[in-house]
Amino acid sequence: MHIPDNYLSPQTCAVMGAAMIPVWAVAVKKIKAEVPKEMIPLLGIGAAVSFLLMMFNVPLPGGTTGHAVGGTLLAILLGPWAACISVTVALLIQALMFGDGGILSFGANCFNMAFVLPFVGYYIYKFIKDSVKTDKGEYIGMIAGSYIGINVAAFCAAIEFGIQPLLFKSATGQPLYCPYPLSVTIPAMTIPHLLVAGVVEVLFTVAVFSFVKKVSPGTIYEGAKEKTKAIYGLIIGLICLTPLGLLAAGTAWGEWGTDEIQDVVSGGSALGFVPAGMQNGFSFEALMPDYSVSGLPEAAGYILSAIAGAAILIILFKVIGYLKKDKGESALE
Amino acid sequence: MIEIKDVSFSYSGVNALNNINLSIEDGEAVALMGANGSGKSTLLKLINGIISPDRGVYKFNNEEITAKELKDPIFAKRLHQKIGFVFQNSDTQLFCADVYDEIAFGPRQMGISESDVEQRVNDCLNLLNIQDFKHRQPYHLSGGEKRKVAIASVLVLNPEVLVLDEPMNGLDPRTQRWLVEFLVKLNQAGKTLIISTHSLELVPELSSRAILFGENHTIAADMPTEKLLDDVDLLKRVNLVDEYYHSHAGKDHKHFHDHSF
Amino acid sequence: MRLNDNRMDALNMPEWLLTDENYSPPNDRDTFVNKSILSFLSILARIKTQDSSETGKYGISAIFKVAFTFMLILLLSLSRSFVFVMIINVYLIVILSLMKAEDIVKILKVSLVMSLFTFILLLPAAFWGNSSSTILITGKVFATITVVNILSRTTKWTSITGALKKFFVPDLFILVLDITIKYIVMLGDFALSMLYALKLRSVGKNKSKYTALSGIGGTLFIKSKEMAEDMYIAMECRGFTGEYHVYNNFKFTIADFGYIMINVGIIVLFVYFGRI
Repeated sequence: MHIPDNYLSPQTCAVMGAAMIPVWAVAVKKIKAEVPKEMIPLLGIGAAVSFLLMMFNVPLPGGTTGHAVGGTLLAILLGPWAACISVTVALLIQALMFGDGGILSFGANCFNMAFVLPFVGYYIYKFIKDSVKTDKGEYIGMIAGSYIGINVAAFCAAIEFGIQPLLFKSATGQPLYCPYPLSVTIPAMTIPHLLVAGVVEVLFTVAVFSFVKKVSPGTIYEGAKEKTKAIYGLIIGLICLTPLGLLAAGTAWGEWGTDEIQDVVSGGSALGFVPAGMQNGFSFEALMPDYSVSGLPEAAGYILSAIAGAAILIILFKVIGYLKKDKGESALE
Repeated sequence: MIEIKDVSFSYSGVNALNNINLSIEDGEAVALMGANGSGKSTLLKLINGIISPDRGVYKFNNEEITAKELKDPIFAKRLHQKIGFVFQNSDTQLFCADVYDEIAFGPRQMGISESDVEQRVNDCLNLLNIQDFKHRQPYHLSGGEKRKVAIASVLVLNPEVLVLDEPMNGLDPRTQRWLVEFLVKLNQAGKTLIISTHSLELVPELSSRAILFGENHTIAADMPTEKLLDDVDLLKRVNLVDEYYHSHAGKDHKHFHDHSF
Repeated sequence: MRLNDNRMDALNMPEWLLTDENYSPPNDRDTFVNKSILSFLSILARIKTQDSSETGKYGISAIFKVAFTFMLILLLSLSRSFVFVMIINVYLIVILSLMKAEDIVKILKVSLVMSLFTFILLLPAAFWGNSSSTILITGKVFATITVVNILSRTTKWTSITGALKKFFVPDLFILVLDITIKYIVMLGDFALSMLYALKLRSVGKNKSKYTALSGIGGTLFIKSKEMAEDMYIAMECRGFTGEYHVYNNFKFTIADFGYIMINVGIIVLFVYFGRI
């Protein structure tokens, strides 16, 4: 679910990042109030755990494997606020150091995975646990929480993708970022999460939690034991989802005309695209329509390709040399 | 049983094993010695099939062990059953929520009946004198108890070779003594033992053959243990001991100090 | 020193331990262990190699590298000019060609896989008549992934986190980041050993794979809590009061000047080609 850069417009990224700032501020405040002194090691090491949990390959029925995010699990074990910061730090390291998930889309990724996921998951867990009050209730809460949590997060990502073609188009009407409308992104994101990723998340959450509960129940977040009004938390969580609404309303960012809005509202399937390309037939020339436009002199073009060619050749030689040397190395390491 | 010929291995460019030649017979007990970072642990990993040689040949029971062979799960599992590995840090070796399940983990996979599994687990609990912890959580045991559970969890698979990475580390003197006697007994029962250790005091009791690693990741000596411990110059040369070390292997007096620190 | 013979006899070996095991393992679908081992190995190797990365080679300060990398990513994202994106890609390929072969392979692997993924993902849109955006976005993705990876492979990570200070990131947050990276290595090594232990004892068919996974994940968590407590005590003992300062001595070099000029050039190009 790590959104890379260039799938979302910088404007969307800015809105999502802005939405996260108050969340982070409140989270730090809450953690400081709960564990004033242990905060630094808790957050640093919690983030390391969060990072590593995402590395596990979880076995799925049938022999395949999948990765879990572990957002709900961390929220239950560390509390939702600490989970929020831990996942944020883990995502930052993934983006900055491992190039996994974008830099600009960092805010959006945090919104989905460090905020929506742990909070929705945690408060569903808490709500069911407090109303059923048995061990069974706790596990049902956990299953429901982790499953719904990751699916709501995926749904948010789908909305972020899906609003791009509505909001951001070039002068010629070409979408600049994710070109697919909501009618495509929502099923594309939610179906795999409903069928696979949600299951992985549930299996992993239940497995790890039950071990921790059996071996070291004292390490589990205190707040999870006492009854709080979880339903309010859930409502707060839903209210926090409003930046998405804000995004949809934030037409000032984009070049969205009123006629287009009407098009969306009225014309169900006609979400912006007329399949013109299909009418005209698909040809290679269509792939390269107007690249020569921007007035790059022919000579400069040649120079540019010459530089690229030389650099690519150097890379090729280095890579071939490296692979030759590498051949003998052990496959396991 | 184990044949290692001209084996080298490096971790992303950093040399860890350099042209190692070694052969270990069935039923032998061998001690691996050497300064920190000299390559002992890497060799143990290689023997266990966690890594495979970059260069050279490793043969177990006359079968060559290569990266390709290890990718075959059936082949790898057969090897893992025949060679048991007791890790240096027992914490990392125990992943079950209860001691009984921890020991039963291996045999339960081997397709033997649950009553035979129970028999084996109980035998191991008795052998290692840990019956009382049967239903405790491994995570909360003491260091010595954890080590015993880890050994039991490996021994229960009935391996032909038992590889132990610094098994005396972090144990109190009484438990160390107990473990030495236990390992000697295992060896007498026919198990091949490969033990890496820093304990110069205990090594002559564990094995009559010692293999010494040099700091250049080669084998500096492969000789009878008593002889090696007398060769103070050699031990100094590989930086295993300093000038205050004096040997008393074979002499009949007991010490309570440990020069290995 | 002789062993006490009586005590030895007390240790009677059970029959099954004295006979050779005649065992042929069944097949099992347990690739998750090997796959997890590979994930952990690659993460740990990556962190360990960055520590020895030759930051000094081009002598450009981390602050400028981080700042201009962010700027470049933003410009790429904003740009609507195919030519601008192409020029940036050529510029990045030239930088790549100056790097070590090993790094080139690793960076290209990531950027090519991601660009291909993007291209395939956007291919249906091309059929719908959005072909130019398919090419444009793929080019942007390639450039963005490459530039981030060049940054992370040519700069020590502590320098990257240190550089964040100049962008008004609080010192305490930088401390948290540094702790995280350090503990990813420590806990990662720990988890890797556990995975090896699981692999070595998985000699047949594991009927309860989730139990094994729960043990590793759960132990990792409990261990981390213990480490956090220890670390807190250690910080107290060393007089940590909650204040933390990141120090970096920063010197402006000729390389920095050259790097800034290149990036000014990039901004000029961006403006020249506009957002058409």
